Amino acid sequence: MSTESNECTESPCKESCCGGAKLGHVYGSLILRGWLAVRAIQTGIEKYSGLKATTQLVKVDGVANEQGLAADAAKEYALAHYHGVPKGLYDKFLTEPMMPKMMLPFYDKVLGPALIVLGLTILLGLAYRTSLFLLGGLYISLTWGLILIKQDDGVSWLGVHMILIVMALMLADQNRFSILKKW
Amino acid sequence: MNPEPSNLSRRDFLSKSVATAGAGLVLGAPNILRAANSSSEDTINVALIGFGKQGDVLFNCLKNIPGLHFQAICDISKNSQNKFRSASRGMPNAEGAKIYMDIDELLATEKDLHAAVIATPDFWHSPHTVKCLEAGLNVYCEKMMSNTIDGARAMVKAMEKTGKLCQIGHQRRSNPRYRFTLDHLINGKKICGQIINANAQWNRALGSSQDIGGKKLAKSTIVPDDVLNKYGFKNMHQYLNWRYYRDLSGGPISDLGAHQIDIFNWFLGGAPKSVFASGGHSYFKEREHFDNVMAIFEYDTPQGNVRAFYQVLTTTSSGGGFWESFMGTEATIKISEISSSSAIYRESGEYVPSWDDLVNKGYVKKKPAPPKPDVSAGAVASYESKAPEVFELPGDLPVITLKSGNTTIKPAHQPHLENFFAAVRGKAKLNCDARHAFESEAPIFYVNPSALSGQPIVFTPEQLSV
Repeated sequence: MSTESNECTESPCKESCCGGAKLGHVYGSLILRGWLAVRAIQTGIEKYSGLKATTQLVKVDGVANEQGLAADAAKEYALAHYHGVPKGLYDKFLTEPMMPKMMLPFYDKVLGPALIVLGLTILLGLAYRTSLFLLGGLYISLTWGLILIKQDDGVSWLGVHMILIVMALMLADQNRFSILKKW
Repeated sequence: MNPEPSNLSRRDFLSKSVATAGAGLVLGAPNILRAANSSSEDTINVALIGFGKQGDVLFNCLKNIPGLHFQAICDISKNSQNKFRSASRGMPNAEGAKIYMDIDELLATEKDLHAAVIATPDFWHSPHTVKCLEAGLNVYCEKMMSNTIDGARAMVKAMEKTGKLCQIGHQRRSNPRYRFTLDHLINGKKICGQIINANAQWNRALGSSQDIGGKKLAKSTIVPDDVLNKYGFKNMHQYLNWRYYRDLSGGPISDLGAHQIDIFNWFLGGAPKSVFASGGHSYFKEREHFDNVMAIFEYDTPQGNVRAFYQVLTTTSSGGGFWESFMGTEATIKISEISSSSAIYRESGEYVPSWDDLVNKGYVKKKPAPPKPDVSAGAVASYESKAPEVFELPGDLPVITLKSGNTTIKPAHQPHLENFFAAVRGKAKLNCDARHAFESEAPIFYVNPSALSGQPIVFTPEQLSV
């Protein structure tokens, strides 16, 4: 029976002091980093998704139908499809007196690229802490918008993201495989 | 009698175009450019009458239709006028559109219009449509034709007297999904067998049924009292919530129900012989109209007797919102403007022919089988029918590219507007002219009276005729 303790006895933590617990923290940090990065990157990429334009009519018994029924739409990604804030929400925000109307188009333009860039910097470990902090700031801005239009489910959902970011920041000391550890 | 499909002849276009170009020479260079822009042979000069919520919906479709020049709009609200300015910003074919508050002034001033799109409150539909038809315009008017059956009759008479086109906004009549279903599946392949029942609903959640406006209105949205009174509204509440007032609309059964009861009549091939309805002020006790209405229509069709049940509820969205369902001995077709709410259910049993050939030839697509119900959960299995197989339509509305570069499934109202403008150009026949719309809408005018009296109404030919 081992008598070795897994508790870290050094402060600040030194790699040699706590064995297995340290490895758990490293793994925890990596999977959290991966999750937050994938969440941000793919959410940003999806803002460039749309339906592929098609007017190809469905053939019935070998003949294009006269009623105008078209083949089912296929998804594709293109710069032309970019939509930062979904149109339904955008229109709701426009009617909100507290929403700065001049800022909305700017926010709409930068939201997608910001999510992709921050997701990539988190994935690559580039200024990891600062990237997490900025992603948290972005989620706060989204939360504020959803509070305005009373989307309480979305607010709760973003709250979970915030908890994960805080956990990632707490585990940041154990982070590995980073391009730029500073910041 | 239906009007001729083409009311805008090449000669009309050229004579109006020359007049417009002449006006441009007198008024200066910008007007020359505008006249040139609007004088192309294919260009149709359009007036938008009413630019509220529905006007905006239609404009978002009209923007996608080539060859239209938005020459003038009319709305009594400065806020709506500003909405149009904002919505049309950057559109060369709406540049210089003249904005009016009064339709008489618009019609007296704008002499080279070809068509009007009317999206005003229901009680104005008939007067506005008649005025525009008599001024020589082709008219697209939103449904319900009128808040009174006599108003609807006047529209049919005006259309037939002037010989102009008048399309009513039952947009499902031009929807490829509905047309395909009727032409190929119900009439062509008769996949339902004998249709014995129909069922439709528009269940709207309480949250979507609240009064518009609230106690404190933004200053920019307020229409002065003298203007409101001149145009038939007592106050801002009535102006914003005209759908709840008996003198201004037919209430939920016409506002929402008209679309779907029209599908009953269209798909079943004629008007019902009777209606029996019930309604109540079950939640919105202050409103003049019933907030919940249920109605049963009876039809005699060549196949036999059909009962069609319709409900419009403004206090719940349960049951999947809005759809229509046609239930036959061999299959049920559930259809909606929302494709995800649609499905085709083939009855199981040896008496139903195989649909493999229909699937192979592309008439329907098979959907994955739904999970089997748990028979141990209390149901008496031996009493239950075997679950039907589920199919779906083989396609949807086309995906179009907007001017912004984004793509979207073609908006539901667009095919109907396209049909109207194709008819104006003489290239199509209207899918829902005022006479056909009247034949379909007439029974709806008797739903509220049946509910109020608690008695069924058996229609006489006079009740349903112009």
